[in-house]
Amino acid sequence: MSQGQNREWELTCPLVSSDIEKLAAGDLVYLSGPVYTARDGVYQHMLIDGNAPPIDLQELTNVSLQSSPAGVEVSPGEFEVASLQATAGFRYAQYMPQLLEEFGVKAVVGKAGMSEQVYQEVFRKHGAVCLTTMGYGLGAIYGRAIKKVLGVYWVEELGISEALWTFEVDRLGPLLVEGDIHGNSFFAQVNDDINRQLGALYEGLKPPVYGRIGEEQKPETELF
Amino acid sequence: MSTTSTAISRELIYQVAYETNKRAAIVVPQDGLAAFGEAWERESKPLAHFILGQILENAKLAVADARPMCGDTGLPRYYVKLGNEARIDGGVVALERALRQAVADITQDIQLRSNRVHPLTRRNPGNNTGVFAPNIDYSFEPGGDWIDIIAVHKGGLFGTDYRMLFPADGTDGIKRFLLDNMAEFARRGLSCPPVVVGVGLGGTKDQAVTLSKEAACLRLIGDRHPDSEVAALEEELRHLANQTGFGVMGVGGDTTALDVHVEIAYTHTGGLPIAISQFCTAYRRSVARVFPSGEVEFREDPQWFTPYYRREGIE
Repeated sequence: MSQGQNREWELTCPLVSSDIEKLAAGDLVYLSGPVYTARDGVYQHMLIDGNAPPIDLQELTNVSLQSSPAGVEVSPGEFEVASLQATAGFRYAQYMPQLLEEFGVKAVVGKAGMSEQVYQEVFRKHGAVCLTTMGYGLGAIYGRAIKKVLGVYWVEELGISEALWTFEVDRLGPLLVEGDIHGNSFFAQVNDDINRQLGALYEGLKPPVYGRIGEEQKPETELF
Repeated sequence: MSTTSTAISRELIYQVAYETNKRAAIVVPQDGLAAFGEAWERESKPLAHFILGQILENAKLAVADARPMCGDTGLPRYYVKLGNEARIDGGVVALERALRQAVADITQDIQLRSNRVHPLTRRNPGNNTGVFAPNIDYSFEPGGDWIDIIAVHKGGLFGTDYRMLFPADGTDGIKRFLLDNMAEFARRGLSCPPVVVGVGLGGTKDQAVTLSKEAACLRLIGDRHPDSEVAALEEELRHLANQTGFGVMGVGGDTTALDVHVEIAYTHTGGLPIAISQFCTAYRRSVARVFPSGEVEFREDPQWFTPYYRREGIE
């Protein structure tokens, strides 16, 4: 990974395959167009419980955010979002085959990505990428990019935070390409570098006199 | 100091609770801004440098637009320090009611995310209040007739851990626990570094966890513990946390911890309990002192850890 030479792309949603194919792990992306949110609540309600979405999601877009916006209902049926951030995506890896297969999602925007194995086995097969929000505290920058809340669905069933939100965004970014269609993970490469120096910091520190059941003795390990 | 001081009105407490809560969500405190700026200046890795620049830009936009600095607005909570001579119109019950009402109202008004849900049913009341929510913690100060209201919005998923170590583990055990904590939670930036690390050392298990959170959230970056041995440990741990190289967002960089604060409590002779909390990049805190005269003083330093709060003797 050559940091500092991160390529930047301005892309329009729904994404076309020629755009997705040029994205490499470590690139920066700005998205414009329609997107929708889906995390714990929507995955359970739509994918596991089998409830059909109230709108044709695939018709709307192929970009899904693992996000629950800081937004409220300002008047009956009218919603606004002030700030936006995605949540840790590793815990949703189990839903990816179905989401990509049945809903044609080509870009999942989460936080911190998933394992390289998921990219190899699921994302590569569907020609999809995994993007991550950046800084993990750029809520105001991302919030500014939301031009319009198109709709909010399943508020009754899932609560406002887990509801399905659809947005029109303008230059939502910077987002980082974490997993590309070849199955490469940006963080897997970074972690290789970090792990090389991590072991040395433990040298000379005696192990705890009393262990813990299931204790992971190798700090180089990814825990998901 | 009069023992018959004028009561502080519940309306004023509500207004200050509302305002501190709002500022906490939107405005990065001065010590945080300075620390992010320094981290940005000295960062040697280009991508980390770029992201730190974005964090500084985000801080400006949040204030300009009056929008929360982070889309996950965390769990709003209050720390309240009561001067021993302070009196409240309606008593502490009125104060707690005002704080809970302020959280519910601010959630709607500046569009905080409704994060608080029932842990089993996941029911969301939609206003960040509920059973034991928001957290309200208290401390006391001799002599004062004022009330300090400190609003903190703390992220909730990653970065906290507790372990019972033993005296034989000593400093090695403490360092190892810190490294373990960084490797678990700063990897891929799950705990949103650069963070302020709070370490609670000693006491009972619950005290260690509580102190770790207070150490992370309620001391200025750069502040050192008055006990010189604890202060030296803080420096050593800060250096160690940054040597891991996780950096901002875990992309590899020079600054993983903006600071490490250690709080100690006297503990069982056979044990060395330790807890760590990480206060994330969305560094959210606002402090105000309310006087019986109706005057309100906003300030940067929480002044939570006073000599009285850390007292060692009977008095």
